[in-house]
Amino acid sequence: MDSLETSGLPLIPRRSRPLSRYAGLKPGTTTVLQRWLAGWLRRSWLVLVLLSLWEIAPQAGWIDSTFLPPLSDVLAAGWGLALNGQLYDNVTASLFRMLSGFAIAVVLIIPLGLAIGRYARLGEACNQLIEVLRNTAPLALLPVFILLLGIGEVAKVTMVFYSCAWPLLLNTIAAVKQVDPLLIKSGRTMGATPVQLFTRVILPAASPTIFVGIRLASASAVLVLVASEMVGAKAGLGYMIIYDQYSFLIPQMYFGILAITAIGLLLNYTLEAIEGRATRWKAPQGNV
Amino acid sequence: MSTAKISLRQVRKEFVVRDEGNGPARRFVALDDATLDVRPGEFLTLVGPSGCGKSTLLDLLGGLTMPTSGQILLDGRPVTGPARDRGVVFQQYALFPWRTALQNIAFGLEIARVRASERTEKARHYLELVGLSAFANRYPHELSGGMKQRVAIARSLAYDPDVLLMDEPFAALDAQTRETLQIELLRIWRATAKTIIFITHGIDEAVVLGQRVAIMTARPGRIGRVVDIPEELNSGSDDVRSLPLFGRLRHEIWTLLREDVWETQNQSVAADPVPDRSRKEPVHG
Ligand SMILES: Nc1ncnc2c1ncn2[C@@H]1O[C@H](COP(=O)(O)OP(=O)(O)OP(=O)(O)O)[C@@H](O)[C@H]1O
Ligand SMILES: [Mg+2]
Repeated sequence: MDSLETSGLPLIPRRSRPLSRYAGLKPGTTTVLQRWLAGWLRRSWLVLVLLSLWEIAPQAGWIDSTFLPPLSDVLAAGWGLALNGQLYDNVTASLFRMLSGFAIAVVLIIPLGLAIGRYARLGEACNQLIEVLRNTAPLALLPVFILLLGIGEVAKVTMVFYSCAWPLLLNTIAAVKQVDPLLIKSGRTMGATPVQLFTRVILPAASPTIFVGIRLASASAVLVLVASEMVGAKAGLGYMIIYDQYSFLIPQMYFGILAITAIGLLLNYTLEAIEGRATRWKAPQGNV
Repeated sequence: MSTAKISLRQVRKEFVVRDEGNGPARRFVALDDATLDVRPGEFLTLVGPSGCGKSTLLDLLGGLTMPTSGQILLDGRPVTGPARDRGVVFQQYALFPWRTALQNIAFGLEIARVRASERTEKARHYLELVGLSAFANRYPHELSGGMKQRVAIARSLAYDPDVLLMDEPFAALDAQTRETLQIELLRIWRATAKTIIFITHGIDEAVVLGQRVAIMTARPGRIGRVVDIPEELNSGSDDVRSLPLFGRLRHEIWTLLREDVWETQNQSVAADPVPDRSRKEPVHG
């Protein structure tokens, strides 16, 4: 769970969002807007401070602007990349690899994890293998994948798939094992067949923990993709960052980093929204 | 014998337990030599001290676990597993947290592949029966303990089982709601001729509801005396409790239980191999 906390977005309870819904009910629209702004500021001021520092520090000469150009220069460089089409090419290359590796992992590994979690025999057989493989850092295997699969798309998608597989597998197995036995008992007394028990009791009961795995997997997808694009690629944001660094196109390099952050944030928001919908029944978490 | 709806014959249930974290495993007898016949359409209440094996017995009757030895017959045939001819109301509610009250009640009907429209209609009916119509779309975590218990009762009634197995279903309710539901349960029982086995800690409740009260003793859990309750006490009306007969029976059962409770309490710290988990609410990961 630690890595979830540090992986970017905090797990904010979605309570503060739909202020605009009250817009029609409240007397003055301005107060609603003001309150929304105040809320937004309260949540974002630290990020804003950081971004301002990024702009001010190089401008004021506190930091050598050759190594850390001001934010405005970075954004201008990004605009240039967007205009000449490089940004589009690199972003689509990265997105394609990341999303396909991630999606294949979700589709293949979650069912596998469900089966391993459900059938003790299968779990026993797979346990050691899983322990060994999951402790082999995906990045350490990068040279192996390149050796076997070349430096084309297959190697990168496989890398992403491989790195997503472990958090997905482990969390799904744990999710199934943690299902309250009483709920299974309860389903059985109502005559549920094993299949019904699985789809109507175990799966919904396990879904919150499976989602934890999905989010961890998405974080490691970004990480591993960037690393593997830095090592051997002709396109992609990881490639762009390392290429710009070699060519001393420092603002472009920083823009590449920002783009990756943006992709990570977007992915996380999307998954959070899906998760929020799927597990709306849960009691709100947090220390109230 | 063959006229019994449910028949327990020398049923014994052992659990494997460890006294220390990784100490040696040993067998713990939760239920020993339980023998009992329940007539079709009978309302039997079961009282006994905490930890005497009441819930264990109910699990066996529900077909959720198998006896270590002995036999459990339902309509003369051995129980081989759970089925919709028996409805179980668990001590810890066991509602599905991802389903609303209404959806929880409809679960059994869904499993039975009842049409959606009929399902909802029936579920609404039973929700109304337990007085929760206004809470149809609430999730379990938005309901009070007593409300959850009522949803659980409605859920097991909804698919119309022959036999109702109820594990302290009214324990979490206030006195007034409890009495209302007691009367309601008696009404349902009379109207539907279900066979009901009802576990309770309350001697009053056992006498008011049961045609017979079976008294269990602890360590090992056994079914001791079975006390007949005259019909006039099961009327569900209020003044039953003030009848001298009620007081006499109450006292009789209390005396039967007392010695055993004393024994249990004095042993419980030293001998209880598994801490009492039964009172806690299930923890949802
Ligand atoms: N799965 C289990 N493994 C080991 N011991 C168990 C298990 N289930 C129950 N026991 C033990 O069996 C005994 C009977 O438990 P049971 O839950 O049937 O008691 P009970 O009569 O329902 O008590 P209460 O009135 O408190 O609900 C207890 O001593 C308990 O510790
Ligand atoms: Mg119990």
